[in-house]
Amino acid sequence: MSFDLSQLSAIVPLIIVTGMGCLILLAETFARNRARTGLASLALGGCVFAFVAVAAQWDAAATKTTVLQGMWVMDRMALFLDATFVATAAITVLISGPFMREHGFEFGEFYGIVLFATGGMMMVSHADHLLMLLIGIETTSLAAYVLTGCWRRNARSSEGAMKYFLMGAFATGFLVYGMALIYGTTGGEMTYAGIAAKAAVSSNSSLFVAGVYFVLIALIFKVAAVPFHMWAPDTYEGAPTPATGFMAAGVKAAAFGAILRLFGTVFGGPGLPGEPIGWVRILATVAILTMTFGNLAALRQENIKRMLAYSSIAHAGYLLVGVVAVGVGIAGAQSAVLFYLVTYTFTTLGVFGVIAWVGKRGDERLFVDDWAGLGTARPALALAMTIFLLSLGGVPPTGGFFGKFYLFRAAMQSPELYPLVIAGVLNSVVSVYYYLRVVVAMYFRDATRPLDSYPSASMRAALVLTAIAVVVLGLFPGAVVDWAGGAGAAVAKVAGL
Amino acid sequence: MPTLYYLYLSFALFFIGTAGVLLRRNALIVLMAIELQLNAGNLALLAFSRSLGDLKGHVFAFFVIALAAAEAAVGLAILVGMYRTRQTINLDEVATMKR
Repeated sequence: MSFDLSQLSAIVPLIIVTGMGCLILLAETFARNRARTGLASLALGGCVFAFVAVAAQWDAAATKTTVLQGMWVMDRMALFLDATFVATAAITVLISGPFMREHGFEFGEFYGIVLFATGGMMMVSHADHLLMLLIGIETTSLAAYVLTGCWRRNARSSEGAMKYFLMGAFATGFLVYGMALIYGTTGGEMTYAGIAAKAAVSSNSSLFVAGVYFVLIALIFKVAAVPFHMWAPDTYEGAPTPATGFMAAGVKAAAFGAILRLFGTVFGGPGLPGEPIGWVRILATVAILTMTFGNLAALRQENIKRMLAYSSIAHAGYLLVGVVAVGVGIAGAQSAVLFYLVTYTFTTLGVFGVIAWVGKRGDERLFVDDWAGLGTARPALALAMTIFLLSLGGVPPTGGFFGKFYLFRAAMQSPELYPLVIAGVLNSVVSVYYYLRVVVAMYFRDATRPLDSYPSASMRAALVLTAIAVVVLGLFPGAVVDWAGGAGAAVAKVAGL
Repeated sequence: MPTLYYLYLSFALFFIGTAGVLLRRNALIVLMAIELQLNAGNLALLAFSRSLGDLKGHVFAFFVIALAAAEAAVGLAILVGMYRTRQTINLDEVATMKR
């Protein structure tokens, strides 16, 4: 537990993203309009460096080590998620620049805040201590509130930010109080290993169980699962579209990383410490409610952004099936959740990227009817949107199909989870209906008005990248599945800990 | 005084805070109620810390205080932004988006 400077090498990716974020904030003061593109390049460069640094740590992280006074855990799951976060940030930066310029509210801090949020997510995925988890979640959330509300002249943006902020801060209240209860009832433990060691005994204390549920409520809120989803539709609809993609992909992935680590290892599974808490059964109910509600609500949305907000609630439900599978002790369920997160991340970023690019100044074109005729007016964009929507629906040969395949296959290993899998498959079928509505509008209906938009090389690059990633994940998932396997093994519960 | 008294007080504070968030419609009051929740957490941390003879809870409480300040800064900025576009901070009047 001693400290020496060499331990800082473990947090080089974090230092790179937050350092670059600070640099961008400083540079923004001096930047004129044209120079803001340079700030985006800075952010992009930071992401590339951070990605390289994460990749360089991969081999050394084969065995789990804990550095910085037990605050920071180095293992492959954390690095796998880090790589996802950095990719999310990079694609968001590519999409947000042209979007903000077109809609006339470009400011350089946006890129800095995206990087700060990314740093916060890294803290969440690496956290091995309640304090690190709290700081990570709050860094991410505060940045996300700002990103939601940053389109200041847009009334919906500030309304979405207000709702997100109030509900998010409410959840933080639960998180802090839950952590306080866990700290008190375990006799002063704050590291995950320390809590796990005392969880079996402490589970007899109703205060400890209450603490665990308070933390669960806060995390469930962050992934926007029923019954703590009510902020998500308004926030996702109100936020500037690139920020919506960033939140739906990145913030959600970070919260699932925390859930996997805390509820997969610390608060137990069957025959393991913490099982008396009984969160598995509750989370199973939450999973079914979440996907069913998300999909049913999405069915009747005319606004595409709002439809995808509900669809992202449904996807949180599918992911919770994987968490329940982890909870009942199915080997490999962690990896399935992580793989799903990667496919979902690229698909979501792509889908919101397309939405950001279809509209133009003063006319965001968010309704399904506005998209009629896109297939002839802008065939490449329509094709990309079709790929992303099919992936969200889980149709082969896209990444989304394999994400769902691995997830449900993992859950199938336990007969207790059949109801969850059946609900998941039925929901996927329902969801294809509203995804295809957009595809039908794009290809089989005539445009009612011209569908031109602004030219943008970086938008094109981001969409080509995400579309290729989604297709490659669908055709050759092998390599990423292997990485996810190594990452999932890192948080697989060691019995008897 | 036994630790339990402090815990009862922190429960009460947390309950008042939660009720405030759920029942009040003025965004500023809701913000105050959230601060009350965070401070209930702080009080519980400090009570535990004191009774366990362990300093980690104290340090944690410092971080929570800093965090509450950061949250208030961002929250008030968002509130001002909303007032500028809407001329109201009543949460019931702020529902333009379709359900």
